[in-house]
Amino acid sequence: MAKAVKIVLAGEGGQGVQSVAEIIAEAANEEGREALYIPNFGVEQRGGVSVAYLQIGDQAIGSPKFLTADIVIALSDRAVYRTRKYVGPETVFVYDAGIEGVEDAIPKNARKVLAIPALQVANEELNPRVFNVIIMGAVVKATRVVSEERAKDAIEKKLGYKFEKNPELRDLNFKAIDRGAELVAGLV
Amino acid sequence: MPEKPIKGEKRYFMTGNEVVAYAALAAGADIMYGYPITPQNEIMHYWTRMAPKYGKNFLQTEDELSAGFTTVGGVLAGRKSFTATAGPGNTLMQEPVSMAEAMRLPIVVVVQQRGGPSTATVIYSQQEVTMTTIGGNGEGFRIVYSTSSHQELFDYTIKAFNTAWKYRFPTFILGDGYQAKMRESLTMYDPEERGISLVPAEPYVGKPGTPGTDRPPEQYRNTYNVEEEIYEVVQNLARDFNAIASEVAEYESLAADRSEVVVVAHGVVSRAVKEAVNELREAGISVGYFRPVTLRPLAEKELREAADKARVLLLVESAHGQMARLIKEAAYGCKAEMIPFFKPGMGITAEEVAARVKSILG
Repeated sequence: MAKAVKIVLAGEGGQGVQSVAEIIAEAANEEGREALYIPNFGVEQRGGVSVAYLQIGDQAIGSPKFLTADIVIALSDRAVYRTRKYVGPETVFVYDAGIEGVEDAIPKNARKVLAIPALQVANEELNPRVFNVIIMGAVVKATRVVSEERAKDAIEKKLGYKFEKNPELRDLNFKAIDRGAELVAGLV
Repeated sequence: MPEKPIKGEKRYFMTGNEVVAYAALAAGADIMYGYPITPQNEIMHYWTRMAPKYGKNFLQTEDELSAGFTTVGGVLAGRKSFTATAGPGNTLMQEPVSMAEAMRLPIVVVVQQRGGPSTATVIYSQQEVTMTTIGGNGEGFRIVYSTSSHQELFDYTIKAFNTAWKYRFPTFILGDGYQAKMRESLTMYDPEERGISLVPAEPYVGKPGTPGTDRPPEQYRNTYNVEEEIYEVVQNLARDFNAIASEVAEYESLAADRSEVVVVAHGVVSRAVKEAVNELREAGISVGYFRPVTLRPLAEKELREAADKARVLLLVESAHGQMARLIKEAAYGCKAEMIPFFKPGMGITAEEVAARVKSILG
């Protein structure tokens, strides 16, 4: 029996990691798969590292949180420190190439470590607003929990009302999915 | 005004708090009384958003003491009433719950456990087991369902209203912060379309007719003058509670009557235990599980059977022995050795449970 894929997404509040996790979970659910998503939450209302725990599989999912992830995506320096404990010998550790000063914190026990220039792509090629959608493309490509097409459907479902008013936004978001996927294609 | 919140059967993907609000609507609840506390807040949020559309009510009180007592009042008036709380709120709620216990009032309380003691964390624990099952200055004449999934949150919230009004004991849904905040799928349905009839509510006070002339007077008390009176009241409560215990008690088990190690867990932790036990069994290891669905009353007969046949009961919980106390009391004198695996205020994974079972078996 194949185990559920376990994903940890972490970033600063406002980077949109919770939205990404929620949209992927909903996309998987739409496909009839088992999905469980839980955010970290504490007494702080802002200013903390935001962590999303996501599991997708084909059978009932066990505990909501887990010790070791299949893939960890850290989007800020503090997120790197916060999430390195979820890394084991089978884990792919992904972080944004623009994060500085974390060389010593990058886990050495991971199966693979990938630095991807998501922030740079967002700022220089697309739009800073779709940074998290680029990340979503990368996660979907790296884990294959849902297809890229399904991910785009899920975004359409979520933001369709905005796309109706401004169709360019649709292209921007879909391009972000594609670029995110390209960043990890063939590397995982 | 739409009559039914849910028609037909449909798969949903949402948080547990949202599920509880839908389930209370589906169960025909009339009114929620509440005071905010994390991680149960969204039950109130979703209820207040949906309730007016279905002619239902909500009252926010000044604290949990008041939320509990107004829930008691709602029940006295013959309304299906409920509240939801957590942690320190549950502590305050024990006073009104004791009154409901004393007077056999079918209040429904949803508890989303957070870390303790005191304010602690708003996140998760199983540390409100003792308080929910036997808290207050009473004897714990309540019914407590410990759910483990969104499907169960839906099923058992509906059931809790029926159980409460059928047996007239305060009834709890014991969830936790994980169940409250996580999103997963479930199927919602209209209970009556599934053949589940909803037990009607009826008023305790203000019934038609003149008391003593048209009908016998109703007398409800939680204050007594002499020892003999309260002795008789409590003896009657105990007799009635024990009489329904085996009918109300629910459990789930796998190979609990034929395994060397039986893992005992309730609530969300039982998900990890099931996963671990299934994997270990595939590897040929002699292990089973016993999961009490009702923590009060417990399925004692079946638990004792497991505790007599197994060599070891491994007691797993996100608390420092609160479920274990209930299990040890129920299984007093049974042969199995009881080994604890306690992680108060922290989640427990299948990998940890499997590792512990393996280390026990050597």
